[in-house]
Amino acid sequence: MSASPVKEVIVGLGSCGIASGARKTWNALERALGSTGAKANLGITGCVGMCYLEPLVEVVHEDGSRFLYRKVNEKRAEQIVTEHVCGGKPVQKLVVDLGAEGSEDHAYMAKQRRIVLRNCGGIDPEDIEDYIAVGGYRAIRRSIEEGPEWVVSEIKASGLRGRGGAGFPTGTKWDLARRSAGTPKYVVCNADEGDPGAFMDRSTIEGDPHSVLEGMMICGFTVGATEGIIYCRAEYPLALKRLRIAIEQATGRGLLDAPLTPDGFSFHVKVKEGAGAFVCGEETALMQSVMGQRGMPKFRPPYPAQAGLWGKPTNINNVETFANVPWIIIEGAKAFASLGTEKSKGSKVFALAGRIKRGGLVEVPMGITIGEIVNDVGGGTVGKGRRLKAVQMGGPSGGCIPDSLFDTRIDYDEVTRTGAIMGSGGLVVMDDTSCMVDIARFFLDFTQKESCGKCTFCRIGTKRMLEILTRICDGEGRMEDIDLLQDLAYRIKTTSLCGLGQTAPNPVLTTIKYFRAEYETHIRDHKCLAGRCSRLTTFHITGECPGCMACLKACPTKCITGKKKEVHVIDQGKCIKCGVCRDVCKYDTVAVV
Amino acid sequence: MSKVKLTMDGRTVEADAGATILEVARSVGIEIPTLCHHPELKPFGSCFLCVVEVKGRPNLLPSCATPVADGMEIQTRSDNVRGARKMCLELLLSDHMGDCLGPCMAECPCHVDIPGFLAHLRSGDFASAEALIKQTLPLPASLGRVCPRPCEGACRRQIVDAPVAICNLKRFAVDPALGTDKAYRPVVAPATGKSVGVVGAGPAGLACAYFARMKGHAVTVYEMHDRPGGMIRWGIPAFRLPREVIDDEVAVLEKMGVEIRYRTAIGRDIQFGDLVKRHDALFLGIGAQRASRLGCEGEDLPEVLSALDFLHDASAGTRSTIGRRVMVVGGGNTAIDASRTSLRLGAEKVFILYRRSRQEMPAFDYEVHEAEEEGVEIQILSAPVKVEKAGGHLRVLCIRMELGEPDASGRRRPVPLKGSEYAIEVENVVAAIGQGVDASCLGPDGPRLTRWGTPEVSMRTMQTSIPTVFSGGDAVLGPDIAVRAAAHGRLAAVSIDQLLRGQPVTGDPAVYNATMGSWKEMPRDVFEHVDPKDRAKMGLITMEERRTSFSEVESGLSREAGIEEAGRCLACGCRSVNDCKIRKLTEEYGVDPRRFEGAHRDYTVDDSHPDVLLEPGKCILCGICVRLCDEVLHTPALGFVKRGFDSRIAPPLRKTLAQVHFDGIMKLVDACPTGALTLKRAPVPTYSVAPGAGSK
Repeated sequence: MSASPVKEVIVGLGSCGIASGARKTWNALERALGSTGAKANLGITGCVGMCYLEPLVEVVHEDGSRFLYRKVNEKRAEQIVTEHVCGGKPVQKLVVDLGAEGSEDHAYMAKQRRIVLRNCGGIDPEDIEDYIAVGGYRAIRRSIEEGPEWVVSEIKASGLRGRGGAGFPTGTKWDLARRSAGTPKYVVCNADEGDPGAFMDRSTIEGDPHSVLEGMMICGFTVGATEGIIYCRAEYPLALKRLRIAIEQATGRGLLDAPLTPDGFSFHVKVKEGAGAFVCGEETALMQSVMGQRGMPKFRPPYPAQAGLWGKPTNINNVETFANVPWIIIEGAKAFASLGTEKSKGSKVFALAGRIKRGGLVEVPMGITIGEIVNDVGGGTVGKGRRLKAVQMGGPSGGCIPDSLFDTRIDYDEVTRTGAIMGSGGLVVMDDTSCMVDIARFFLDFTQKESCGKCTFCRIGTKRMLEILTRICDGEGRMEDIDLLQDLAYRIKTTSLCGLGQTAPNPVLTTIKYFRAEYETHIRDHKCLAGRCSRLTTFHITGECPGCMACLKACPTKCITGKKKEVHVIDQGKCIKCGVCRDVCKYDTVAVV
Repeated sequence: MSKVKLTMDGRTVEADAGATILEVARSVGIEIPTLCHHPELKPFGSCFLCVVEVKGRPNLLPSCATPVADGMEIQTRSDNVRGARKMCLELLLSDHMGDCLGPCMAECPCHVDIPGFLAHLRSGDFASAEALIKQTLPLPASLGRVCPRPCEGACRRQIVDAPVAICNLKRFAVDPALGTDKAYRPVVAPATGKSVGVVGAGPAGLACAYFARMKGHAVTVYEMHDRPGGMIRWGIPAFRLPREVIDDEVAVLEKMGVEIRYRTAIGRDIQFGDLVKRHDALFLGIGAQRASRLGCEGEDLPEVLSALDFLHDASAGTRSTIGRRVMVVGGGNTAIDASRTSLRLGAEKVFILYRRSRQEMPAFDYEVHEAEEEGVEIQILSAPVKVEKAGGHLRVLCIRMELGEPDASGRRRPVPLKGSEYAIEVENVVAAIGQGVDASCLGPDGPRLTRWGTPEVSMRTMQTSIPTVFSGGDAVLGPDIAVRAAAHGRLAAVSIDQLLRGQPVTGDPAVYNATMGSWKEMPRDVFEHVDPKDRAKMGLITMEERRTSFSEVESGLSREAGIEEAGRCLACGCRSVNDCKIRKLTEEYGVDPRRFEGAHRDYTVDDSHPDVLLEPGKCILCGICVRLCDEVLHTPALGFVKRGFDSRIAPPLRKTLAQVHFDGIMKLVDACPTGALTLKRAPVPTYSVAPGAGSK
């Protein structure tokens, strides 16, 4: 119980919060606060990363004490206003207690190390003052004081590597651009984030857009660029809106479009929206798109740092990379380098998704193992009787890592050695209900649709691989298909123009490497034992079924019969293999035969 | 310009820093294939055919765009590189919608350039049509009368109405000059000093002689009968193929310098071993001349004739009569010919006895039809059991059949119906139930035989177990069609020429032939724009003449009808067939075009431009046309549309090619590495035609 009055009620209004119903929560709070006449302000913030608890609402007292509420729907919103804001009594059962050892939520946050996401969920992203109040825009001032060479050496010493997926040393890249001749120079922020299921960049921009702007300004000062371009995908309207507000506010504050140094260095940022092409996340295709051309990649060399946009030196970095920079400048390269492994320093943001108990946005220090992320942070797999099988890292460019390799540390090179890639941060967890052949097919379907069509192996090769995988999932695979897939995959990987083609075969290659038996079962036995490929699946309710009728009620075709306390039976003729019965069964008695 | 040192395929090379691997390779004579490279354009990176291996780099690098560096170790021909190039071509071919050759031409065993000669006929140029045909076939007037026209079975025109009358038009093209000085005769190459012996002046032997002689070798043909033609003369009656036609065509060969020795049978008048000694190479076109026996009691009676002997004697003029009633046993063309010949020799009643049903009869439909028109009766599901003399004639005991399970040939096996015996009385029985090969004339030193008694040959080269001896036609296939025999003869001549020049004997180079599939599988709307038109009907002489003489039954097409019929041809096939880069590379890299069968991209042919045809189905997305427009011609006439697998080249904003017409479009047509952009008026013929010898 707190005697201090409530100063503010803050609603998490990142896209994930909104998707969970946070706007309705906001409206309910607004009504409740209005009707009770409470003096508390209603504010917004970005995603704090605990997506499994959205909508999240934080109540802040004058004395600084804060209470974070979980899964706040309209009813709970009213309850909070009545009991806590007005009545002074926090609704304990809804409070997220991060300090309580052994609690789920504590476990979620305990191993995280939030650098990129330092402000997300703690500030109002649409108010520059909030950013400044927590130390924002000090780093650019420090950089100007110390000079560009100092910045380069700090970034190099920090060990920061590109967070977009390739992991190229950032300090080296900035140095290259700095030394290249040409004017004007450009700084580009790659906010295309095309991986399905990845939302690291989106959350960062929605929650703390100024950190990205400041990172770009520091880069611009260091390499000598006066033009900044943020290439943000059009499918992120909220991020675009917050970016534009941030730019407007920064300009109003004299930070952009105004001289920052005695010799008149000023930085201009404009936003360029993408137009729905995953391939435009590849830097040469991105530059083509910025220049108004068709987004098809080009040969490198020349590298963008030497000749990029309009032939001028261009430094391209990912959102996450830029967001790290102000922290490094203020806290020091040593602090950053104290986290992580020998070759992979700092922290990494991951979008934890799939068959996981606690899914959301997490930022963990490099060097943590995959197992720790999945089990400690994420809480392991969800559902009774389910067994962890693998994680997919790096989205459609990445690969599957089986549970036997869960002691692999998050480190660019260690991950690459398994056959996967670090990628931009997508981490999809899979259990025994995930079919690895179907996973490969799913990702290949994506990359195939997104291929720009320029080079032979990617354009036609991925299509043929997809056709083979589809045949296998439909029960028409042939044993030679596995070798044919590998042959195709290897060649596409080594004979494509850009990263899309070079990495599209990874899901296929890693699933064949670690889960070959599943391919063989699909082909030879015409069975999908995970129960995903509908033509190869037969669900069967075992004798242990206690007869609770849950599956009966949930079945969309009403093909399950049985009375209470009787073993239920599936009518195979009507079953459409959707798997809902297995999903709702609390007793793990729906088996795949 | 500073220099760098590198190794390429093990050779040390010095080059300008900044030059591309491709430029350096070409400067030292190392060949690297390219598709999207163009000397006037910046490197693009679409085809990835020109890849090479560079030590220390995990990926293969495109040589057209990678600059050389000091110390680079480059492999341009390693297994890895060749494997990548092979797959590159296989992937491109898996989505290549076009026909290199028209399906008619591909189906023809001799690969006569049918769209080509029909194009010449359309413009009334008979001489060019004839010259083109004779690049692949020496006896078009004969074959244009008796060939079963597999080409027409493949003709895409039948999607609209009926196949083009290709066979009739072949005869139509060559008949005018037949027997005159104007008949096309190939120029003979200078004498090579080598000698080729040919046994048999049938279609196989004559074709071999023709093509071997063209190459300059001395050719001698040994023919057991007294006139040339083989089975097309002695097994096919004059009313289908007049003797003068055969003689006139063979005269052309003799004018070329081919020597033919008649009444010289191998095994009887000259031995195999002598021929092998006498000639540098030998071709055996001995045919399938052993008639199958009836297989029933009474088959040796003198009134029971073998169809082959019967037809030979009728052709030679040594038989001019036949019994009043004639039973011909068999269902193939020989049986039909024997029955119609019997009518003309005066038989009053002729019927054919065939043990299976009509559907299973191997004879050509139009032959059966013409026979029935003339009065031949066909009795199906019947077979003779016994022939015995009865009074002054024969009584044949027959039995009815029913069809049971299919036998080894796939046809339903005839099963005798017990108790259904019946008797027929005739004067003669003619057995036309099959032919076999009798290689005993080759003697014990002859080439190795298969278990069917035919010389064993490699179908790729026609070479037998004896390296200087070749064989083909019916001798190798059993009784088959003349055009296939001619194809074998030509192929044997190619192999013989390789042998005599000391080259490896490999036969024809394997050439890839893209096809959009058979007309049965194609969507009907491909030819929606074609108006239906009736197929020209072949003229026939009167029924009176047909029954009483051996005059040629089919009288030919009128000039107008023939030229009009040639106009029904849809000109399938690709105008770039002779300079398509992909086609040339498929053999070199051992490409398997069916390895990656799958979906094809959607596209529509842009026929709008008056001169240029854009066929996006053949496009390999090299981008040369787009880049030429952009970098050299400075016009936005063409660009990439859509994405990924469905990418295509098209004018922007859904315009047609005619709407964006610009100067310099010819440059694009010339630069296109495949047949995606072609000139409409480019000549359709695929073979180059050497000018004829003698008068024009």
